[in-house]
Amino acid sequence: MFLRVVAVMLAGAAMLAAAPAAPAQTKKTSAVKAQSPPPPADLSGVWRRSRRAPDKARKYTIYELAFALTSEEPSMTPWAEAKFKANKPNIGPRSVALSESNDPILKCAPPGIPRAYLVRAEPIEIANIPGRVLMIFEYDHFVRNIFTDGRPHPGDPNPTWMGDSIGKWDGDTLVVDTLGFNDKTWLDNDGHPHSEDLHVVERIRRVNHDTLTIDTTIEDPKAYTKPWGGHAIYDLKPDWNLGEMVCEDNDTYQDMQQKSEGKAPQ
Amino acid sequence: MALVICVALLSAPAFAHHGASVYDSTKLTTFKGTVTEFHFMNPHTEIIFDVTGADGKVDKWTGEAPSLTAMSRLGWSKGMFKPGDQLTFVGNAAKSGSHIMRLRKVVFPNGKESVIDRSEDYAE
Repeated sequence: MFLRVVAVMLAGAAMLAAAPAAPAQTKKTSAVKAQSPPPPADLSGVWRRSRRAPDKARKYTIYELAFALTSEEPSMTPWAEAKFKANKPNIGPRSVALSESNDPILKCAPPGIPRAYLVRAEPIEIANIPGRVLMIFEYDHFVRNIFTDGRPHPGDPNPTWMGDSIGKWDGDTLVVDTLGFNDKTWLDNDGHPHSEDLHVVERIRRVNHDTLTIDTTIEDPKAYTKPWGGHAIYDLKPDWNLGEMVCEDNDTYQDMQQKSEGKAPQ
Repeated sequence: MALVICVALLSAPAFAHHGASVYDSTKLTTFKGTVTEFHFMNPHTEIIFDVTGADGKVDKWTGEAPSLTAMSRLGWSKGMFKPGDQLTFVGNAAKSGSHIMRLRKVVFPNGKESVIDRSEDYAE
């Protein structure tokens, strides 16, 4: 309940904050239509990445099921390869010690998209309000405004951590188109890089009452020779509310771990 | 000194998930212990308990559990464990011999069990 109030307050603040940007645009895209038709499908609810294996073909690790975008390695340009090698994660198959990791998450930088889904595989909440779909992440309480009021992306979007998202319905599938990213985030926990040209498309569909699927496609010709992405399955959590997750709470453990690294346990 | 080492291994699951290999996932260790402290917090919850050996020697152990948020979804709350509570702790002990375990289950005197869902941790 509290988070819904916060979400509405944030939405209200966003509407007020959007107004000063309007003069730069010839079209009044900042005002959200007060009335809009109800969405063709209801994606609302608290959703958590399923830990269930998609098939019995082999054993899947929890990391693959919930913390990764895909198990296949994307095809990187030389520019991206160099960045990938330089990115040192603290979790996953390429992990290094905390003191050697340069993961921006460790300084509580925003995770960007699609990493916001992946950082700690924590739940998300989807809520409908007129003219938009709100996506709230338990991870550090990020909120995405996915505008569904027919607006286009701004002609020259500001580079932001989480990008500018617009949504269109394709039958019962919400197609979210996001661009306008800065290049300061990692795409995933493994440290795959991206440029400011990153373009993310998510196809979000509620396949049945308790299941949501999100198919993510990443396009970034500067970094990847062809689009790539992954298929994620989410379970409805009807009796969950999003909890408070504050990235800065991890500081205590980081400080202690930094001091103790290298010491042989007794 | 001991506290620093305990926390070094304890902090492993927070970000350095490679630390899950710090615990012996091949076997479970069971202790009857008396709670001395309960830290219900993010990113990890800790129950610190005393274990009295057959020789009468008292050892301090730390049982680590997932975040406050994850555990509250499993029914845990701030007042769940109090100093003096006598419980059975089941978990994966640290390979190094340090007195830390990754909690899998807590059993109450009335036989009721709280099984800890570790699917929050990816290095399972």
